[in-house]
Amino acid sequence: MSRELTIWLLIFAVGAITYTARLSFIALFARRDMPPLLAEALKHVPVAMLTAIVVPAVVFMPADALRIDVGNVKLVAALIAGAVAWWTRSAVTTIVVGMGALWGLRYLAG
Amino acid sequence: MRAHFSRSGFIEGVRDIAPMMLGVIPFGMVCGVGAIAAGASPVAALAMSMIMFSGAAQIVATQLLVAGAPLAVILISCLVVSLRLLMYSAAMAPYLRRLDHRWRAVLAFILTDQAFAGTVQRFRGSDDLRANASYFLGSGGLLWVTWQIATLLGIVAGQIIPASWQLDFVVPLCFLAVLAPMLRDRVSILVFAVAAIAVIVLDSMPLRLSMICGGLLGIAAGIAADKLKGRA
Repeated sequence: MSRELTIWLLIFAVGAITYTARLSFIALFARRDMPPLLAEALKHVPVAMLTAIVVPAVVFMPADALRIDVGNVKLVAALIAGAVAWWTRSAVTTIVVGMGALWGLRYLAG
Repeated sequence: MRAHFSRSGFIEGVRDIAPMMLGVIPFGMVCGVGAIAAGASPVAALAMSMIMFSGAAQIVATQLLVAGAPLAVILISCLVVSLRLLMYSAAMAPYLRRLDHRWRAVLAFILTDQAFAGTVQRFRGSDDLRANASYFLGSGGLLWVTWQIATLLGIVAGQIIPASWQLDFVVPLCFLAVLAPMLRDRVSILVFAVAAIAVIVLDSMPLRLSMICGGLLGIAAGIAADKLKGRA
């Protein structure tokens, strides 16, 4: 199979997978009630999933090495940005401060 | 469709999600560059963004293509990185059930990490279905359009921005901007702590399953804490 054909196959197959995942529960619970335990679990989805996305992106240096110390500039920049987000609730301020902290810390670290 | 459309809700959705474009544009560009690097034609690279519409799935697919993985392995890996969409779908389901099926079909298509993070607070805080659905349409619609433009920029311009700028760091910052303000009560902080520790400890799991498992453990801790609090 040519590379181009493989890619087109992938596009439609993965497109079907992502759309099915997105529609799944929205379609399933359109006409019936959700079990109470599931409803309770859903309250915690935002914090749990956002944590699971953000934490690996900041605690691992390249090549999957865990680095929880002040030498990890991404982690320090994320802590500063997180504090700013907590106080200001502003996405723009968080992004500007976070990138500024990353660049500043890298400059200081030489 | 028209019965549930509110122009002001739509415009608010577009406006509130706009800062997130700072994270979406570099991410989309990376996907465009990656698809070309994996041997896709420019049309296929753009179709990837239009139809898959998932940065995680697109990056996994292109990286595995470059590595020469068999089609079945690529599909399974994309399925696994898409599992978190099930949770978003479940979390949005109660809010969308009173909409007609066309609205649900369209809103499901534009349900992404960013759309979920950007709109869930609004759905929790307001009962106005018409305004909320239009708000979601505005936020998710802008994300979809921006994703295509960013992919095109990645395809056409290649890597204009040197990798040393680490612009990809904007992506976790966007999520952090939503996450940090939610950590105001003890249960949320517990959910955060458990998910954070679990995702680090489980990092060696294949196919980034650590993300799903870490998230599920955080949710379990939250349910347990709610139960204990109710009993006390």
